[in-house]
Amino acid sequence: MTLETNVTDASNGLSDWATYREVELFLFKEAELADTHQFQAWFSLFTQDLLYWVPCNNDDAEIGKQIALINDNRAELDERLFRLGTKHAHAQSPRSRLSRIVSNIVLADDYRRGTGGQVTSRVLVTEVRNGKTEHWAGRVTHLLVRQDGVLRMREKRVYLAANDQVLPNLTFII
Amino acid sequence: MSQCQNEPCATESPVVWHRPTPSNEAIASLVQDGRVHSRIYTDQSIFDLEMERIFHRSWIYIGHESEVPRAGDFQARRMGRTPVLMVRGRDAQVRVLINRCRHRGATVVETESGNTKMLRCWYHGWVYDLTGALREVTEPGGYGPDFKPEEMGLTQVPRVASHRGFLFASLQPEGESLAEFLGGAASQFDMLVDASPTGEIFLDAGFNKTEYLGNWKLVGMDGYHPNFVHASVVAGWARNSESGIGSMHREDPFSDAALTLTRDYGHGHAMLDFRAQRLKSYSKHAAFLAKVPGGEKYVEDMHKAYGKDRAEMLISLSGDPHLGLFPNLQLIGNQVRIIVPIAPGVTQVLMSMVRFGGVSDEINTMRVRQHESFYGPAGSGSPDDAEIFERVQRGMQAEFNPWIEISRGMHREYIDTDGSVVGRITDEVPQRGQMKYWLQLMTNSAA
Repeated sequence: MTLETNVTDASNGLSDWATYREVELFLFKEAELADTHQFQAWFSLFTQDLLYWVPCNNDDAEIGKQIALINDNRAELDERLFRLGTKHAHAQSPRSRLSRIVSNIVLADDYRRGTGGQVTSRVLVTEVRNGKTEHWAGRVTHLLVRQDGVLRMREKRVYLAANDQVLPNLTFII
Repeated sequence: MSQCQNEPCATESPVVWHRPTPSNEAIASLVQDGRVHSRIYTDQSIFDLEMERIFHRSWIYIGHESEVPRAGDFQARRMGRTPVLMVRGRDAQVRVLINRCRHRGATVVETESGNTKMLRCWYHGWVYDLTGALREVTEPGGYGPDFKPEEMGLTQVPRVASHRGFLFASLQPEGESLAEFLGGAASQFDMLVDASPTGEIFLDAGFNKTEYLGNWKLVGMDGYHPNFVHASVVAGWARNSESGIGSMHREDPFSDAALTLTRDYGHGHAMLDFRAQRLKSYSKHAAFLAKVPGGEKYVEDMHKAYGKDRAEMLISLSGDPHLGLFPNLQLIGNQVRIIVPIAPGVTQVLMSMVRFGGVSDEINTMRVRQHESFYGPAGSGSPDDAEIFERVQRGMQAEFNPWIEISRGMHREYIDTDGSVVGRITDEVPQRGQMKYWLQLMTNSAA
């Protein structure tokens, strides 16, 4: 890969491998922290202003008008993680054992190494808890931004394939 | 020769013909003073009988009229095992039709909701209109003069009635009226609908659809559990008392010292009565609303519409009568909830958010976010409830000493002036009320 040496802030995911690879490694790290319930480390991947949104009924649901499965700003996500961290979040006692595959990662055409942009991927989470195995599949969009040289996520939106179906508990980080 | 000679002839329902129907004496032995046998939650023959004697007879909540605002709008629902459609016709009337083609039995609608000009079965192409009338039979020459199309429409559920926009139906052609069935609980619908200054509510914000591996009767009105099942949420309120649904629950309403009550209206209808407790914090709640754009105007409009006393009560209660309407409707928090029994150990709970008419968009968005914070598969509350119901269902498999204790507060409950039975918030008044009516329906002693 000789493209490595040509990387600039204007580089995008199509023109060079390093820009793509940085995003891929970010998503893998995020997946690992979520799988292992490292709530605060996962939380620190977000910017101060954030949206963590998992719609239900349909992918085009309007935030704040249609009820979602998860619709968290910073304060609400902080509370979600605080609660999961207590000893009394019964639906996570014992915790779900998780293993997720992140794939089909595509950077938007206007993604730039220097400023970030939108990234689309697919996820398949296997959840094992109390003798039951659930599979949670969906499309994910991340809005990544570079702040002080560090790549962070401003938005994470998860469009579950089953979001119009009857669902069991979804109490881990999806 | 009759097939009934060698075994009891099951005349009541083909659903249970292959199983011996438990006798009334056997059923009655499961419900005792202050305790019930866990088999009422785990047994398949009891469940089958519940479908027949409760869900295929009683008034069942179908949906709210605002869910089908235009001609041709439909929602697919269930009455026990019976798939039904709530459809608005071109005459603006809302009907409840059995979602089953009169020809060979296929469901005619497969989506949960939508808008259609007609109802077509795609097995052989029969077409029904929005009233259920049969409009077209393909290749009609195949039927002789005895075939009467006018008698082959989609089956109408025999009785349909509504109360303040809430539509109920009963598969039993004769029986008590909806007003008689609702009894004293009818007035509690006002506490929800009149929380809108214009008296308008809309169920158009979608559903959280959840499922737990436990019996449908477990999801009832219980004022004893919140400080334990929802301990993690209560801990969150110590950090921010107004986060999520915290603004509704000030000053620990779930302690025996609170003004909160349990109330049984009969017919299995029971509520956690937060009225006096929340009214005490009216000024705090009004101050909370004032922080939301349109909140001060809402308070003002409520006073204009209902006068000071009633407005303060309605505002304090936040449209949350916390009423369980037996067997399948609950008005809780910002939601209308439908309980759908699937099997003895499988239950679906459908939770929709109530949008108020006559208020700012910001107030409704605040209500959406309150709902999302606590309810649904990923909320802070519903999953812990579901988890505990599943633990109960597992524990109840034990039939050595199988009794479920529901005696709490029997020594201190009393009958209020309106005839309802009242206890403290932690008392099991709702559980006893539910089981009393359940037994009545299951042993046919209501008829």
